[in-house]
Amino acid sequence: MKKISVALLAMLVMSGAASAASVINRDAEPQTIVVTEGADKAELTVGAGETLEFCAGGCFVTMPNGDRQALTGSETVEISGGVGTIK
Amino acid sequence: MSCEAKKATWFCQTDLKARHKWMSGLFALSFRLCLINKLGMRVGDRLIPYGVGNWRTALAQAIFAVIFTVFACNFARADFVEEQRALLSAIQTKVEKAVSQVNAGDLDDAKLVSVRSSLDQLVKDALGVAVAFRPQLEDLNKRISALGPVPASDAPPETDVVKDERARFANEKASINAVLGVAEDLTITIGKSIEDIAERRRNLFADDLAKRVDVGAVFGSDVTEAAGNQVEALRKIVASWFTFVTKFKLQSVLGATFFALLIAVGMLVGGRRYFGRLYSRDASVAEPSYLSRLSVAFWSTLIPSASVTVFMAATYYLFDYFKVLRPDVRELMIGIFALVAIVFFVYRLARAVLSPDMPNWQLIAIEPRAARLLLALVTATAFVSGADNFTNLVNEILGSPLSLTIATSFIATALVGILVMAISFVKPTVDATGKSLNRNIQASLFLLGLLPLLAALMGYVGLARFVTQQIVVTGAILVTMYLGFKSAQSLAREGAFGRSNFGDLLRERYGFEELSIDRFGVLASIVVNLLVLAIGLPLILLQWRFQWEDIKSWVIKALNGFTVGSVTISLVGVLTGIVVFIVILAITRWFQRWLDGNILSRGKIDSGVRHSIKTAFGYAGMGVALLIGISAAGIDLSSLALVAGALSLGIGFGLQNIVSNFVSGLILLAERPFKVGDWIVAGNTAGFVKKISVRATEVETFQRQTVILPNSELINAAVGNWTHRNKIGRVEIPVGVSYNADPRRVQEILMEIGASHPLVLKNPEPFVLFQAFADSSMNFELRIHLGDITMSPIVQNDVRFAILDRFKAEGIEIPYPQRDLHIHSNGIPTIEEMAAVKARVPKTVRAKRLKI
Repeated sequence: MKKISVALLAMLVMSGAASAASVINRDAEPQTIVVTEGADKAELTVGAGETLEFCAGGCFVTMPNGDRQALTGSETVEISGGVGTIK
Repeated sequence: MSCEAKKATWFCQTDLKARHKWMSGLFALSFRLCLINKLGMRVGDRLIPYGVGNWRTALAQAIFAVIFTVFACNFARADFVEEQRALLSAIQTKVEKAVSQVNAGDLDDAKLVSVRSSLDQLVKDALGVAVAFRPQLEDLNKRISALGPVPASDAPPETDVVKDERARFANEKASINAVLGVAEDLTITIGKSIEDIAERRRNLFADDLAKRVDVGAVFGSDVTEAAGNQVEALRKIVASWFTFVTKFKLQSVLGATFFALLIAVGMLVGGRRYFGRLYSRDASVAEPSYLSRLSVAFWSTLIPSASVTVFMAATYYLFDYFKVLRPDVRELMIGIFALVAIVFFVYRLARAVLSPDMPNWQLIAIEPRAARLLLALVTATAFVSGADNFTNLVNEILGSPLSLTIATSFIATALVGILVMAISFVKPTVDATGKSLNRNIQASLFLLGLLPLLAALMGYVGLARFVTQQIVVTGAILVTMYLGFKSAQSLAREGAFGRSNFGDLLRERYGFEELSIDRFGVLASIVVNLLVLAIGLPLILLQWRFQWEDIKSWVIKALNGFTVGSVTISLVGVLTGIVVFIVILAITRWFQRWLDGNILSRGKIDSGVRHSIKTAFGYAGMGVALLIGISAAGIDLSSLALVAGALSLGIGFGLQNIVSNFVSGLILLAERPFKVGDWIVAGNTAGFVKKISVRATEVETFQRQTVILPNSELINAAVGNWTHRNKIGRVEIPVGVSYNADPRRVQEILMEIGASHPLVLKNPEPFVLFQAFADSSMNFELRIHLGDITMSPIVQNDVRFAILDRFKAEGIEIPYPQRDLHIHSNGIPTIEEMAAVKARVPKTVRAKRLKI
């Protein structure tokens, strides 16, 4: 019983402890955002309806429509119609 | 900024919904008042009258308000952009300064680290500036989407107003994006610079180790002269400081020293008083256990070393506080304190492990003479290495020629090498012929000593210094950590904690049981392990040229969350969750106990109900604590849907039985077909219920075997309960008597016996059933009711003994089974006839007949 509860707890921790920023693409086609974290600038392609985690610390994101946004690392970005909204 | 603009700034940044809500209300009113005030001022002392009835004025003012708001908004937004731009350019200046510092390339390791931490902060600042634009960007996006999409080329064109608006919003967005772009570029520059710093620090370290000096050239007459000059300069510094102190600051110095001594003595005495039993070697103990030897070694190193360190830290702090220290003296003081601390620590540690004066307290079995020698050599090694550090510091303070620094380092490292090699020649244990039993250890120590010696001789003084420092300091820390781990290990051993002083204390003062004390032992072992790691690891890392800032930022990063794949785990979050879970669980348990002890224990509540309520509260409390704990850990409960999905699939296959038992357990709690202590019969199992849990029920049979019955079996099959509502039960005792006996007398006797037993109920009274006319007996059955059916074996025994005794006394027979045999004799001679024939016939004929 103890083992089961420990395993369950570990599963809970693994499943939910994410505090990085995440991006959800609500559009029907894949969208690409540009993420600048530290000295690296990388493109991140998000499939239709997909949710991705990125940016553990702070970072800059360039949305598909060219908007720039700064993230501190716990936000959820929702892309819809190429426009990113931060929730 | 004007009154309108101030309001507008706030207004522009407010949420759109809130704005709509207030637009036609209070806000317009305040604006109008504001506006009127302004207008009033402009026309001199005359204020434009404002009347409720004057609708034209009101309308005009409302229009004014709207126009002003729009203007003010734009003005404010532009203003805000400028403000943030100014902030950014300030950050940029700082970044440029830091980058140019790094690029100059003459920074030492510590300075590089401090630049790095300031760069970390600058990244945060730049991000902060950028994040401040978020509400404005959101607002702009909302407005743009409110304008609708740009009409296609064949659609009717937009009105000019809409077109202008669109262009204006696009412009504003572009200006914000430009500022954000600057911030982004800044973070990239900073990121690159941070990478550069890491690279430079690696190179610095490597250069330091790989630098080769010409040893022969530094040993000339000028070095000895320089050394003489330095000693003189040092003497002067100390003497001038001393004069300054005695003349102006004597009281402060005496006071500071006194207080520092007071603290140190307090710590030492307190430590001796509270931990004295832990670390004083008792000479009267012939063979102390390994745990006590270990803990004595560990604590007798730690407490005096900590006292000395605290004394020096307090002295330094107090001297600093009273402004007694000059910068050069401050450095010197730190150097001396570091020297004293390291030598003292190594000495205490070596003494603890080797214990030359009390061989029975040694951690490693070494001959006393060898132990004394080792103690002296190890302390000398520590002293030489520490002294090297100190002279280096002095050279740095006095700006001595490089040749002097190299010469002292050369001498010190070579000395350490020789000392370590000398240590390697000590034979710790010898066999009968005087040969050493630890050749491998001796050989590796010899090589370890040879390394700095060779390095120094070949001119790699930097490398030699690094190695000697590692030998002394890292060696000492590693040995201490090893002792700590070992003592934690033996703490966790079963029963070890219970035998310690602390275990005695827990048992005597707080009445803890053996099992709980053992658990405390495991907990203590975990805590000791963690403490050793938490103290030892940073110390070792500091030795290996990692900077305090680095370690700090790692710890903060680790606590705030580290990423494994796409999952970020925050230790602080998890720990908070666990603590909250434990606290809430404790509260619910306390509530449960209170409910059980104060409310449910009142006489009228059935024990089954009480147990059910208590159990239900227990599970509810656990559930609530778990949920709150999970939320406190920062885990999004909605993400548990995934786990729930996986679980339901599992339930479909493997967990079916467990869930069915669980639900059955809940039904048992609600329905209460039996309670703890009931005598139940379920299938082949009969016994007393000991415990009802959510999955299974424990039943103890009369043979004292514990049977764990899954709850589903108790729900799905019939369960007999002898003690459901009450404990009354009937016992039957059958008995057969001979047909010669008087059945009425038998009935009387049985009735008498039944009624006379004290445990038999008078009502319903005993009853004697004349059951049957059986083959060999008349069968009776004595039926008696007992107030407590669990007493049935005793009563049955008593009654049967009594029946037997009375029947014997009354001459009533309990017959064996009887059969009457009837033999029909058609043509077969009867026994009498056969006897007559036997008498008539002579013997020989009889024999012949018999042969036929």
